[in-house]
Parts: sequence; structure tokens; C-alpha cells
Amino acid sequence: MVIIENLNKFYEIDGQKQYILNGINLSVQKGECVILKGVSGSGKTTLLSIIAGLDKPSSGKVIIDGEAVSKLPDMHLSKFRAKKIGIVFQNFNLLEGVNLLDNTMVPLIADKIGLKEAKDKALNALKLANIEHKANKIPSELSGGEKQRGAIARALVANPNLILCDEPTANLDRENSLKFISALKKLHSMGKTLIIATHDPIFEELDFKHKVVEISQGKIGFAVDA
Amino acid sequence: MKNNSFFYFLTLNLLKEKRRYAGIVIISSLLIFLLSSVLFISSSIKQTLNYTLKAQPDFIVQNIKGGKVAPINSNMVNKILNIYGVEKVTKRVYGRYFFDDKYSTLIVGVDFLDEQSNKNLETLINSTDLKQFLSKEQMIIGQGVKNYLKTHYYNLEYNFLTPDGQMKNIKIFKTLSSKSAIISNDETIMPLKSAQKVLGLKENKITDIALNVPNDSEWQTVKAKLQSLNFNIRVISKKDMQKAYESLFNYKGGLFLVLFLIVIATFSLLLYLRYTLAASLERKEIAILRAVGWSIKDVLKLKFLENIFLVIFAFILGSSLAYIFVFVLNAPLLKNIFLGGSNLTNFAKFTPVVDYGVLSTIFIIFTVAFLSSVLIPVWKIAVTEPKEAL
Ligand SMILES: Nc1ncnc2c1ncn2[C@@H]1O[C@H](COP(=O)(O)OP(=O)(O)OP(=O)(O)O)[C@@H](O)[C@H]1O
Ligand SMILES: [Mg+2]
Repeated sequence: MVIIENLNKFYEIDGQKQYILNGINLSVQKGECVILKGVSGSGKTTLLSIIAGLDKPSSGKVIIDGEAVSKLPDMHLSKFRAKKIGIVFQNFNLLEGVNLLDNTMVPLIADKIGLKEAKDKALNALKLANIEHKANKIPSELSGGEKQRGAIARALVANPNLILCDEPTANLDRENSLKFISALKKLHSMGKTLIIATHDPIFEELDFKHKVVEISQGKIGFAVDA
Repeated sequence: MKNNSFFYFLTLNLLKEKRRYAGIVIISSLLIFLLSSVLFISSSIKQTLNYTLKAQPDFIVQNIKGGKVAPINSNMVNKILNIYGVEKVTKRVYGRYFFDDKYSTLIVGVDFLDEQSNKNLETLINSTDLKQFLSKEQMIIGQGVKNYLKTHYYNLEYNFLTPDGQMKNIKIFKTLSSKSAIISNDETIMPLKSAQKVLGLKENKITDIALNVPNDSEWQTVKAKLQSLNFNIRVISKKDMQKAYESLFNYKGGLFLVLFLIVIATFSLLLYLRYTLAASLERKEIAILRAVGWSIKDVLKLKFLENIFLVIFAFILGSSLAYIFVFVLNAPLLKNIFLGGSNLTNFAKFTPVVDYGVLSTIFIIFTVAFLSSVLIPVWKIAVTEPKEAL
């Protein structure tokens, strides 16, 4: 499903190469749930952005379903992302002033889809994420947990196989984090591939994870098969 | 409809930012309003000038006495008729009549025996009216004169006081159409003989003589021959009049103002939009859209449609407000810039004229400036990797 080969990412600062990611190799099978651990600044977000094609690696490649993501031109990459990858962000990233239902529709819109079909799909996704009762609320009227479940709905509305989460519970209390995790579990049981960057210990208790990968100083420290 | 979720989202976006967009629309339509007002005024004046000039004779012959314009003998007409190439030689009697120390009218006497002056009159009133008009001693007055007489309770007639102290009663026949409003607003047209009496001219004296020369190439020779009829003759050509009118209304200055405003308008808009776009709001929105699978093209399409809608809305709003302001409300304030300094204090109304060429030029310049000031920064944000969303 996801294969990462010799991935490097560096920034040049004063002519000095500053490696954020240094020779990452990782492969994730379809339906697996992988936890990316690491201290703040270790490069988790950077790795996820490169997997999602939101950022370009300095060298190396990411292959998803046989496609070298980092090599795709924008038009294809965007389509690929819309269809195959759902992203859940640390700070929710819902569009302000737009209600949850419409926010959930956004990934479908670029795909020239009819309005009714888009609304139906969005409502379904909201049901899966246990948040359909807030479909008509705008983000400022929602709690952090509700926003994050809305973000899950948006991430899965286009029925992607790969879902990336970047510190999804960082802004949630324990109760909401557990609700979020139960939504994740549903996705897992649907056969979705999950990659979750987090340093929230709550994920230690996760009963369906396959791998815990620790990043430190730009390298993968050790991988534990759960 | 396959794409209707996109348009749904577009309207959603317009509505959600309605405060900010209302600000943009208000500022833009204000600028468009100013530009179009200036344009409407200057093209209205231009057309009225053309209209008036068209009705003007090619040459006017005056008598100079002691360095001043003085009445001319009407038998001069016969001498002029002998010059080769002249046509439509007309006697004219006109002069200012002061109702009081503030308000005056331009009295224009018309020779009813003269075919040409009848034709000129026909451009102002239709021919059946003309016959009625000629049947009695009556006058046609401009809107300004009418308004003045009305405030002094003269609704049907007026008693003019002649220089030798007599009263001359003349009935009001009609008020002039607003078509040539700028020029004829303070005019009073009456029979030649009545005008002579009101203005204190003897029967064989007239103010000047008008004539046409159909063949342009003969203008120079005719002018020289007219000049040689008498040493104290003054000849004014249509071209001289045109220049005088142009400087009177100064419409070139008006056009300059248009250009000046275009520059100011686009520039301030550009700055305003650059500023708002730099704000993190739109940057964040674009990053989110990109992160959930929108391509650069999709984002540009959304922003383009969003802003073209604003542009068109602002343009229609601004230009229709300008139309109402100029042609219905008669351009308070702005009028003085254009007509100030001229002696047309009794000015009535701008004739509705829309110069579509200039109007669409304003539209195109405005649209291009507006859209590029939005789309260039949006494009720049959209092409950089949208990792900021994370
Ligand atoms: N444009 C940039 N130029 C230079 N350095 C950068 C740039 N973007 C990110 N970095 C650096 O890359 C490193 C990794 O950042 P990243 O956001 O991937 O860490 P993270 O593991 O997600 O941390 P956190 O747990 O705090 O979210 C950081 O040290 C950061 O300062
Ligand atoms: Mg991070």
C-alpha cells in the first residue's frame, strides 16, 4: 500500500544541509494501522506531508498503490489525493463559516460531482464519524472533539484507502480522544490503512495497531510490531 | 447538472465572506461610479456640443464700430449673396435681455420669410407646430427661462420693456425640448421684428448675418471676399466657434480626469486587495482546499469566479448609480467642475448619452487590474506546497 524508499528531507540553512528526515525506509500494508511516535520537532508532520504529497522530499520516493506520489504533476497528484488519501489535522482545519455538512463535501467538489450526491455522501460520512447530529453547525459552534470527528468525516467522504492523522488528539480531552479512537476503529474495521503521528500515550492502549514507529533525529529508531 | 456542487460551494463562499466582499464591492462600485459619472458628463456635453455646432452656420458676419460689435445693415445680405459659393444667407437678431440684475435670456429673432431659419427652427419643433408658431407674435423659451418666468407668475406671456421705454407683450408658445438643453436653456426665440423691438434695433439693423459655404475648399476665398466687403467687417467661422465651445466646456479636461481616476482607482484597489489577501485567512483556506484534493486549477477557478462575480456586480452597481446621478439627479457637485466658469448658470439637464466604447474600456481595465491583483497572489499561494495546512 505505502512504500517509503530512502526518503531524505533537508533545509539549507547558511549553506548547511539541515536534515529533517534522513534515509527513511518504511512499508505499510493495506489495512495496517501504524503509529508514528517522536518528540516535538522530530519530523512527524514533515513525513506525513510528504506521504500526502503536500510537501516534496529532497530525495527518495513515496509509492502509494504503485504510484510515485512525489513525481506526479499537480493535476494528477490532486486527483490522486482526493481519491486515495484522507487527512486529519491536529488543528482540525475545517473551513470557517461553513457548516459541517458542507465542510465534509469539500473533497468531493473538485471531482465535478452533483450536489445531491455530494450531500448524501457527506451525510453518510458524518454518520460513520458519529457526528451527523451536528451537520448544520459551523465550526465555531462546535467543541474540539466534535470538530475532530467532523474532520474524520471529511477525510473519509471520498472513500480513500489511506488515512493520515497528524496528532489528532492533541487538542482533545481524554473522553473526546476515546470517541475519536472508536471512530478510528470503525475505519480500521472497514479495511482502511491508517498512519497516525502522535505522542499521545492514549494510543499505547490501542488494541488494533500493527506497528509503532519511532522517529528521532530524522531516522526511524525502531519499529515494533504490535 | 454535473458541476453544481462547485457552484453551490461558490455561492457558499461568497455568502460566508459577505462582510469582506461587501466592503470590496462598495469601494469598487464607488470608484466605478466616479469614473462613469465623469464619463457620462463629458460625453453628454460632447454630444450636445456636436448637436449645437451642427446647427451652426459655417460663417457669421458682424459689423465692428469703434472697436466693438455693432448692429449691421440688413442690405449687406444682398452684397453677400453676390459672392460665389455662398448659400443660406440669413439675417440674425439676438441679444441679452435682463429680466433683473441676476437673470437674463438670450433673445433670438427669426426671419420668417427666410427659408433657412425656418428649417433650423424645425429641428427644434415639428412642422405643424411651426405653422402655428408663425401665425402670431409668440415666443419659444428654454427651460431656464420658463422656470424664471414661472416664479414671477408669467405663465402665458411676458411684457418686455424696450430701450425706448415701451412695453412689448409677447405670448409664450412653447418650452424648448431638452435635447439641446445646455445651449438653449436660457434662450428665447421670437419673430425678427419683435426681437428688433425688444432689443431696440432699427428696422434696417440686424445683429449679424449667417451663411453657409457647402464646398470646404472655398472657405478661404469666401472668407477673404467677405472681409473685403467692408473694412469694418468681422468674419467668424464654424471652426472658431468650435474652439470657443470646446474651451468653454473644457471636456478635454474632463477626459483627463477620467484617466487620472482610472489610475487612482486601480491602484488603490490593487493595494487594498494585496493587503487583504496577504492575511492568513485566505492562505489557510487555500492550503486546506489543496490538502483535501483540490488542484491549483480548481482553486484558481473558484477564486476567479468568486471575483469576476464581484467585479461585474460592482460594475453594474457603480455605473447604474452614475447614470442616475448624472441623468436623473443632474450631477450635483460634479456639474460645477465641468460647467463652472462658463456663463451657463441657467443650465438645465444633461442629455442621456452613454459612450459604450469608453465604458467597456473602463470595465476591462478595472477587471484586469482587479482579477490580477487577486489571482496572482492566489496562484502564488496555491503553487507552493500546501504543507502549511498541517
Ligand atoms: N521551512 C522550514 N525551514 C527550516 N526548517 C523547517 C522548515 N519546516 C520545518 N522545519 C523543521 O523541521 C523539523 C521537523 O518539523 P515537524 O513539524 O515535522 O516536526 P513534528 O515531529 O511534527 O513536531 P511536533 O510534534 O511539534 O508537531 C522542525 O525542527 C522544524 O523546525
Ligand atoms: Mg507535527
